[in-house]
Amino acid sequence: MSELATAGQEWQRVSPLYVRVEMLTVAIPGLVVTGGVIAAPLGSGIAALWALPVAAFVIVVLLLVFTPRRVRSIGYQLREDDLVFRRGIMWHRVVAVPYGRMQLVDVNRGPIARAFGLAELKFVTAAVATGVVIPGLPEADAEALRDRLVALAESRRAAL
Amino acid sequence: MTHPVADGEWHRLYPATPFLRGGIVVIAIIGYLFVQFRDLFIGVFIGSVAGRGPSEDPFTRWLLEHAVLALVLVFAGLVLVIGFGWLSWRMHTYRVTDELIEEREGVIWRRHRRGRLDRVQGVDIVRPLFPRLFGAARLDISMAGSDGSIRLSYVASARADELRAGILAAASARRRSESEAGEVERNAVPGPLPRPDSAGPTSRLQGAIVARANEFLAPELREPVDAASLVTMHPGRLVGATALRFGALMLLALAGAIVAAFTRPGLLFVLVPILIAVYGIATREVLRSLQYSIAATPDGIRVGYGLLSTTNETLPPGRVHAIELSQPLFWRPFGWWRVRINRASSLARDGGTSIANTTILPVGTIEETLRVVGLVLPDWAEPTEFTVSPRRARWVRWFSWRRNGFAFDERTVVLRRGRFWRTLTVVPFARIQSVGVEDGPLARRLRLARVDVHTVAGVVRARVGALDAEDAVGLWRDIESRTLAALT
Repeated sequence: MSELATAGQEWQRVSPLYVRVEMLTVAIPGLVVTGGVIAAPLGSGIAALWALPVAAFVIVVLLLVFTPRRVRSIGYQLREDDLVFRRGIMWHRVVAVPYGRMQLVDVNRGPIARAFGLAELKFVTAAVATGVVIPGLPEADAEALRDRLVALAESRRAAL
Repeated sequence: MTHPVADGEWHRLYPATPFLRGGIVVIAIIGYLFVQFRDLFIGVFIGSVAGRGPSEDPFTRWLLEHAVLALVLVFAGLVLVIGFGWLSWRMHTYRVTDELIEEREGVIWRRHRRGRLDRVQGVDIVRPLFPRLFGAARLDISMAGSDGSIRLSYVASARADELRAGILAAASARRRSESEAGEVERNAVPGPLPRPDSAGPTSRLQGAIVARANEFLAPELREPVDAASLVTMHPGRLVGATALRFGALMLLALAGAIVAAFTRPGLLFVLVPILIAVYGIATREVLRSLQYSIAATPDGIRVGYGLLSTTNETLPPGRVHAIELSQPLFWRPFGWWRVRINRASSLARDGGTSIANTTILPVGTIEETLRVVGLVLPDWAEPTEFTVSPRRARWVRWFSWRRNGFAFDERTVVLRRGRFWRTLTVVPFARIQSVGVEDGPLARRLRLARVDVHTVAGVVRARVGALDAEDAVGLWRDIESRTLAALT
């Protein structure tokens, strides 16, 4: 399906640095949880409980392994009248948002992303289900893109 | 076009407002106090009952010793409450101008709220039982987006009708002058404006009482003559339909209670409250939907509900974002359908899924259903050719894969779902916010995908799954290009 929806088109990618942001946001809580559940076998002395931290660690490693692919799957296109956004490797999702439907464009910076000089763009339409967030844009690009999108939305504004 | 309501003057609310707002609470408190101190009152006014001296309870004794002080305190409290109520009534004002509706309120914390008339999504008149007895009504003016809503509680009943007519006339006039494009589903029925129908100052008490009684007994009489209801709902059908919708649940609860009564009476303590709850919900649904009416007026579609507390709302033209026709399983033999809508109002968002906000036809035959849909989308007809799921979709849509599908006409996309619990969702292109196409691991193996049409939040979710992947992507493209065409 996603091949069909996206055939023959050039996708804008997010910054390669964003892979590290994602990895850190997975690894930090993941390792904290792993460290936490180590207390179970150590405290109780039951050998079988070692399965808990091992399982947690394996899950974290798997998530980390797939992170680069997940980040690579994020893409967007600025077409003439609308923005197309896609993401996902297991669950694909492709969304088209007409510029005239954008009500707000937010630039958000999380603490980890900020350390890498990245920001995310969030699009707000009158529908909650739209849910289009482009992460991992260099801050300057994010702001330039926001200004451009706001201008586009302004020129194509339509009644709700 | 200036309506007499848009005079730009500040008006106050209905004089009895503080009493109506706090009325029930005050009565409850008085009732509680009376029950608590019944003995005391009897003691004070009739003389203490034999065998119970006044010195029994220290608090009672103190009260009797300082009766004057206590009375003064109670009186001061009353004066304070009434004074504050009066003051807040004095400070709570509203006005309507050609462009805006404004509301000011608050004694200590002032609040000033204004809404633009062209953002009005609908005006509801709600008459809860208690204020209704006093000839008062609440006016809910819902605004698009994050503007919130303006709620005037309470205004005089006749004034509420007048205000609604004025606000809607101003709102639709502004919208009409702004843009015609995209307003495909405008249904401005040619006809005279609803006459303001002002009762005039009824100075004589008798006249007022007669007017109140008339309002109470026949709220429809207040509606303009040209707004004859398109659907007349027989109460029996409403009761039957509700019973069928909740039928399985009601029977189950009843059967459980009967069985329990014979075998383990202890269980009744659990089952009886459940029984009461289920029947209570069903009864409330019926009571709220009684005296349903729907009509086209020049200001929009007017939907009225309610027997004791009435709701009467008007949807301006072109404010419906999605329509859903649904048919619960047990309605099949009767051919009944229900019509619900999504609309961009903040009331729908915080008022949740209240029936009046979402249901524009609680139950109707197919002809009535199409008539109601025709109000929202003139000349709409169910498409005959649907693109349905491929045969391999039977693994995920066991019974409905032959029905599960979509169709287009020039203005709308129509999604059809369900074999037993049938729904038909209609979304006008001009109201679509964005559109997505999705799949997951299982769907991808079957070469299936799902299309999700994003509209404003509400009870109607416009999505259809288990489509052939190619069909789904084609649908996604078509919806997007037609939405863009409708935008320009």
